[in-house]
Amino acid sequence: MSILAYNGGCVVAMRGKDCVAIATDHRFGVQAQTISTDFKKVFHIAPRMFLGLTGLQTDILTVRDRLMFRKNLYETRENREMAPKPFSAMLSSFLYEHRFGPYFIEPVVAGLDPHTLKPFICNMDLIGCPNEPVDFVVAGTCAEQLYGMCETLWRPDLEPDQLFEVIAQSMMNAFDRDAMSGWGATVYIIEKDKITERSLKTRMD
Amino acid sequence: METLLGIKGPDFVMLAADTTHARSIVVMKDDQNKIHKVSNNLLISTIGESGDTEQFTEFISKNIALYKMRNGYDLSPHAAAHFTRKNLAEYLRSRTPYQVFMFVAGYDPNDGPELTFIDYLASAKSVNYAGHGYGAIFASSIYDRYWHPKITQDEAYDVLKKCVVEIQKRLVINLPNFNVSVVDKDGVKNLDPITAKSLAAEPAA
Amino acid sequence: MALAEICKISNAPYMRRTAWDLSDVEEDLKAHTSNLANPYTLAAPPFENPMHNLNLIQANADKTGIKIDFDHGTTTLGFKYKGGVILAVDSRATGGQYIGSQTMKKIVEINQFLLGTLAGGAADCVYWDRVLSKECRLHELRNKERISVAAASKIMANIAHEYKGMGLSMGMMLAGYDKRGPGLYYVDSEGSRTPGNLFSVGSGSLFAYGVLDSGYHWDLEDDVAQELGRRAIYHATFRDAYSGGIIRVYHMTPTGWIKISETDCMELHYKYEEQKAQAAAAAQ
Repeated sequence: MSILAYNGGCVVAMRGKDCVAIATDHRFGVQAQTISTDFKKVFHIAPRMFLGLTGLQTDILTVRDRLMFRKNLYETRENREMAPKPFSAMLSSFLYEHRFGPYFIEPVVAGLDPHTLKPFICNMDLIGCPNEPVDFVVAGTCAEQLYGMCETLWRPDLEPDQLFEVIAQSMMNAFDRDAMSGWGATVYIIEKDKITERSLKTRMD
Repeated sequence: METLLGIKGPDFVMLAADTTHARSIVVMKDDQNKIHKVSNNLLISTIGESGDTEQFTEFISKNIALYKMRNGYDLSPHAAAHFTRKNLAEYLRSRTPYQVFMFVAGYDPNDGPELTFIDYLASAKSVNYAGHGYGAIFASSIYDRYWHPKITQDEAYDVLKKCVVEIQKRLVINLPNFNVSVVDKDGVKNLDPITAKSLAAEPAA
Repeated sequence: MALAEICKISNAPYMRRTAWDLSDVEEDLKAHTSNLANPYTLAAPPFENPMHNLNLIQANADKTGIKIDFDHGTTTLGFKYKGGVILAVDSRATGGQYIGSQTMKKIVEINQFLLGTLAGGAADCVYWDRVLSKECRLHELRNKERISVAAASKIMANIAHEYKGMGLSMGMMLAGYDKRGPGLYYVDSEGSRTPGNLFSVGSGSLFAYGVLDSGYHWDLEDDVAQELGRRAIYHATFRDAYSGGIIRVYHMTPTGWIKISETDCMELHYKYEEQKAQAAAAAQ
């Protein structure tokens, strides 16, 4: 089994009309054994920006902590909020810094630019190759299933409530075909003036 | 392999650990305490590679004691768990990683009880109940069945007893004795060990 | 033909006209359909010493990328009590971490008085259970009485032992009711066969044992026993990634088996959660 699938879990982010959504499952397992069902892999790092990390849990925590440190340092030095784009660039070079001993994670960034309020989504491989598509990004043990679901359900210019429906259905139906993900899920919808967090009622097996 | 168990209640955390010290095919000692009192509100239980357990636990607990000497107040259980994880994670990517599995359990007057699961990869998760080692696999479904959010200390002790009975019935490895400690608002207390002898003396449930 | 005569090869074996008589046809037919008549003949792998070489292929799978990877992962359990035998199973089939099916039938109804559970290689279990049900029916026709659980499980163990080391993967329980009363046997692909009061088999069995052992005794009432089986499987599906789907419970009684329930894990999870919340509220 791949080291990226050791603890299980998945994250997906999608772009809508003037909004973005990001969703995470809740499983923290050690191979086949589920240890906890309240581990959210998405972190609120700026008022309109979320970071999702899948992969090895220890590295999820380490990368999250180190990035928060760097982001806070940037914000104190520059005295302004960090936008998703420079944050992703920073994340990318942070991951490449460990090119020869990488952190076993796959990150997803979703947010709105603090000034232009333009939606932004981005994902990377474990050594920081960035990818910024217009539609959706996926990561985790059921990435293939997520691609299938997102390709089918996603349309351009979804309103926030439609986007919620699309991301929730994509997430749930994807991890219902994956043994290592699931056990609950949370969706965050980021709009210019509010953030909505919703828990999904999912299969627990 | 050795076994650690841990249960968090609304106002306490209870830990249990087997007392077997085995080397190769020999049981060297059957009264090894694996639950360490770090401060008046903090317990750490450790298993894993022999030598590593002793060294790492001592390193952590002495640093926590040093923190108190320097600052005049104790590290909170949450902070202690973070400190432990951070050190373990840094050693993991060094040439001398520690192979230890542990629980950091504490009671904070403000934040209440805290039980953190940490494995040798420095994966960490705050949990209501969990275990380490082969015995914990049998215990996990017993927790799911009998734990509830308002569990009392007596009930938690009974759940641990059920776990020990199951481990002694199903695990190939002989783990006759378990030490039990609890930490709550009144500090750390050692409870009666759960032993094959004490269980045999009880009327069968 | 003249050329052949000049070359003096007209009588060579390879020049002989093949006369297709009936026996040849039969021979041919047998070679292509032997498995229909005799399910015990399986095609041998196309290399020597399969016992040794098959294991080499599996052992080097990571390097070669050639691996026989079939559906796996299960929780099944069975126990005897005063009211007969309870069997309970999940319904998930996984190939690696991919969930191939959530509706797999892991209890095989061999006949009205014999049930088999499957764990391990799905194809192995299904195939040999079908062979077993044929053998059991033949036994019934030949001897004018139903086969005992002991005898049925012995047939299974013999098959397993015959193929030992060839990579079969099975862990099954056979439950039945015969002249000797309720019967429960565990048979696996190592060739071991053992009777017992309580078994759990599969990747989730360790979790199932936890709940099962803490709730089991001989004098359970029927509904309590059925619920215990269901609950033990439920807890295993919650903890084990490779178990899940629908929980099926069967009850073997002196008058044959009854299907008690088929419940979705999700439904059970939220029901048990509700019960726990209610119990906690009542305790206040």
